[in-house]
Amino acid sequence: MVPRDSLLERDRRVAGRILLVEDDPQIADYIARGFGEEGFTVDRAANGRDGLFLATDSQFDVVVLDRMLPGMDGVSVLKALRAAEVETPVIMLSALGSTDDRVAGLTAGADDYLGKPFSFAELHARVQALMRRGTGRAKVQDTVLRCADLELDRLTRQVKRGPRKITLQPREFRLLEYMLLHQGEVVTRTMLLEAVWDYHFDPGTNVIDVHISRLRRKIDDGEAQALFHTVRGAGYRMAAD
Amino acid sequence: MLRLVVAVFVLQLLSSAAAIFFLRSEMVDVVRADREDQVIDVREDLLAAFYEGGRAALAGYIRDQRGSAADPGVIIALAHGGGPAVLSNIDYVPRVGVQPRPAPVLLRLAPGAAPIETLALASQLPDGSTLTVALAGASERRLNLAFAAAIGLTIVVAVAMALLSAVLLGLAISRRTHEIAEAAEQLAAGNFGMRLVEADSGDGFDHLRLQMNLMAERIASLVAELGAVSGALAHDLRSPVTRLSAAIDTALARVDEPQAIEALQAARADADGLRAMLETALEISRLEGGAVQDRRVPLDLADVAGDMAELYEPLAEQSGVTLTLDLASAPVRADRELVSRALANCIDNALKYGGTAITVRTRADPAEAVLLVEDDGAGIRPEDRARVVERFVRLDNARTRPGGGLGLAMVDAVARLHGGHLALGDAPTGGLAVSLHLPR
Repeated sequence: MVPRDSLLERDRRVAGRILLVEDDPQIADYIARGFGEEGFTVDRAANGRDGLFLATDSQFDVVVLDRMLPGMDGVSVLKALRAAEVETPVIMLSALGSTDDRVAGLTAGADDYLGKPFSFAELHARVQALMRRGTGRAKVQDTVLRCADLELDRLTRQVKRGPRKITLQPREFRLLEYMLLHQGEVVTRTMLLEAVWDYHFDPGTNVIDVHISRLRRKIDDGEAQALFHTVRGAGYRMAAD
Repeated sequence: MLRLVVAVFVLQLLSSAAAIFFLRSEMVDVVRADREDQVIDVREDLLAAFYEGGRAALAGYIRDQRGSAADPGVIIALAHGGGPAVLSNIDYVPRVGVQPRPAPVLLRLAPGAAPIETLALASQLPDGSTLTVALAGASERRLNLAFAAAIGLTIVVAVAMALLSAVLLGLAISRRTHEIAEAAEQLAAGNFGMRLVEADSGDGFDHLRLQMNLMAERIASLVAELGAVSGALAHDLRSPVTRLSAAIDTALARVDEPQAIEALQAARADADGLRAMLETALEISRLEGGAVQDRRVPLDLADVAGDMAELYEPLAEQSGVTLTLDLASAPVRADRELVSRALANCIDNALKYGGTAITVRTRADPAEAVLLVEDDGAGIRPEDRARVVERFVRLDNARTRPGGGLGLAMVDAVARLHGGHLALGDAPTGGLAVSLHLPR
């Protein structure tokens, strides 16, 4: 195991400041270590009251909040935060993955919701997405989205790669639009399923992978530069590099 | 219900008839005693005249009674041996036996006239003459007739009133019963928050309402407990699985040896499978306990099927399976997420165990909306069909493939949460036909 300090030594850039409110020490360690390795500064709280205190007291980029906490539960912490006009993006973690719980979390003011167990890659991708939401390169109101020589016109619904016109199915268009809006970020299969199809369950099989590979063939086949990248164990990334 | 109404009606009728008969017999007794007293009073007056002035005075008194000024209903006759009789309001000497009390007697007012009913009293005077006093009038018969008319009228009115009250009572009972039955229906459908309006009139219906509310409260608290227990169970079981996945991810990030990566990826896939199974099992428990919020919205099953087929179409194509749609509009109130999930399970099963063609159909009739997934695989033998719907049951040909035996159990739970059912049958192509029936 590489000590965290030497990792920070290697990359001094601080990717962001995260508050982690989680009572399970092993899961907290795992998440904190993961973000540490990615260059984040992680502050930890093991119960709701400490979490609320830290979140109102200092500035964080994202709060990762467990739903079930001793003393004050996650939803109460979140409501208290929003009541105190702390608008830091909050991603809620919960062993209660059902639709009811997700809706309760989102209604209380969470920006995203992730059921346990999750992979760190999924959490990392979602935290990145939340952090870039305000400062993202592609803005939600842009009418033309670009990545290298790929161009997607949201008004005329035309897609071009260089001079080549690409015909897409409506769903493929939305998939590409989402990838372009989140270019440079890792998007996971569940993020795509939620954002493009509006389903909040895991169909289990590789349905999303097949959609992506079909779209990828239309965009990248015969091109010198690949725009779609597979991120092992996490998902996909669209980028010109 | 009808029997109750009829019984109430008959009882009311009997009670009013009994009241009328009681009233009649009392009235007859009173009127008769009154008339007897009247006859005796007249005789006492006549006797007083006799004792004061003898027979002559009595005869004069009787003659004064005769004529238009006299009471036409009072008949007096004084007969003495062979001498002329002194008569009032009568031209005929009646034959009435001497008795201590007045008795009903038929008298003719004149020879050859029709006899009338009277109450008559004959007395023997000390000088040997007979004094007869009678009161004309068919009192009892008239009374009987009057009462007969009254009874008739009463019956008519009572029938109408009894019928009306029986119907009103029936309606009131029916309304209250329906209200309580509807509440029970809501309970059965999983709306444990329903409460009946309680009043404290103390009648049986209030008691029933109170008990229904107590029952609903008890069920609600049990369901909440179930939710808490499954939540705690989820927390207890999922955290170790998360740690397991975390450990695998940490290891994956650290190793470069291809064989180690392969082994870890297999472990990761199993951990994911475990997580999915756990999640589905808990979801089924929640659905079966009704411990889910009502998120039903009006939707068309054809749209749900179209969206889901669109999601699965590339995978089907990649697997060499043709996915055909035969969609007729099937509007219904349903939870989109749950119905989509149920359909995803059915399509997933068909992709795993079916042949090379899957057909998704929707149709509706006035009673229900149906979602149907047919494949051309080996199907499921009729004797196994009930079993495969149970949790964790996997048929022999499925044991070697991934899955937890929860797919159809989930579909069944979704169907039942909507008040519908799941049916397994034969597809026209010989494979399995899975149909989800939702009431409209």
